[in-house]
Amino acid sequence: MIVARTLRVAGYDEHEIVEAGNGIQALESVAEAPPDVVLCDWNMPEMSGLELLTALRSAGWTVPFGFVTSEASPQMRVAAMAAGAMFLIAKPFTAQDFQDALDPMLA
Amino acid sequence: MTYIPSADDLEVITREVWTSFLDGDPSGLVPSDGDNATDDKVTGCVHLSGAYTGAIMLQCSPPAARDAAAALFSVSPDDVTPAEVVDAMGEIANMVGGNVKSMLPGPSTLSLPSVIHGRLSLPGSQVVREVTLAWRTQPLTVSLWRQAS
Repeated sequence: MIVARTLRVAGYDEHEIVEAGNGIQALESVAEAPPDVVLCDWNMPEMSGLELLTALRSAGWTVPFGFVTSEASPQMRVAAMAAGAMFLIAKPFTAQDFQDALDPMLA
Repeated sequence: MTYIPSADDLEVITREVWTSFLDGDPSGLVPSDGDNATDDKVTGCVHLSGAYTGAIMLQCSPPAARDAAAALFSVSPDDVTPAEVVDAMGEIANMVGGNVKSMLPGPSTLSLPSVIHGRLSLPGSQVVREVTLAWRTQPLTVSLWRQAS
């Protein structure tokens, strides 16, 4: 909910936000209606964000993917980028953080 | 020597989360005399396992938890649901915990948050750092726990 709120503040209120409760639901949701971008937590029920990203790439999905997480160690950033993530936004974040990450693909 | 975040570190991280999401006024969260001893609490907790095994816990009064949820989700305090209080306390514990984890020795894994109405005890673990602040006159305690090896 705070991500959705911050997206609105960042000026993306024209975009539809589809939420998934866990990684499995996210996989189903991407297959059903591929989004412009996937924003994903690192820690999630059922599968981690990194596992979701790997599963998406293994299935051939090239949808832009970024992490929004309370953890942001250098090792996690390296692992995220190596798996194909485009960005990692650390909590607490600002609307500007989302604009910096998303404007190149959504603006 | 392994660095363990100090009570000041806990305060800085908590302030950062608070001013980013809950209260833009940095002076809204003030030092407290540490009296947060009643059992009428809402507790959010995330566990760490790995190079450091323990937990980060956040405890506040039910009114403070309700106000935090209202601020986090931009709704009136009167309209906050119990589920939103749980979501908010879990999210805040997750944010504070994730930032504390980044200062601890790794690698370790951060759990999904747990939220209970009341105090939480962690048998076999002890508080190694604790800070008590006050937000809108309500006490807020953030603590770092370590499991005995």
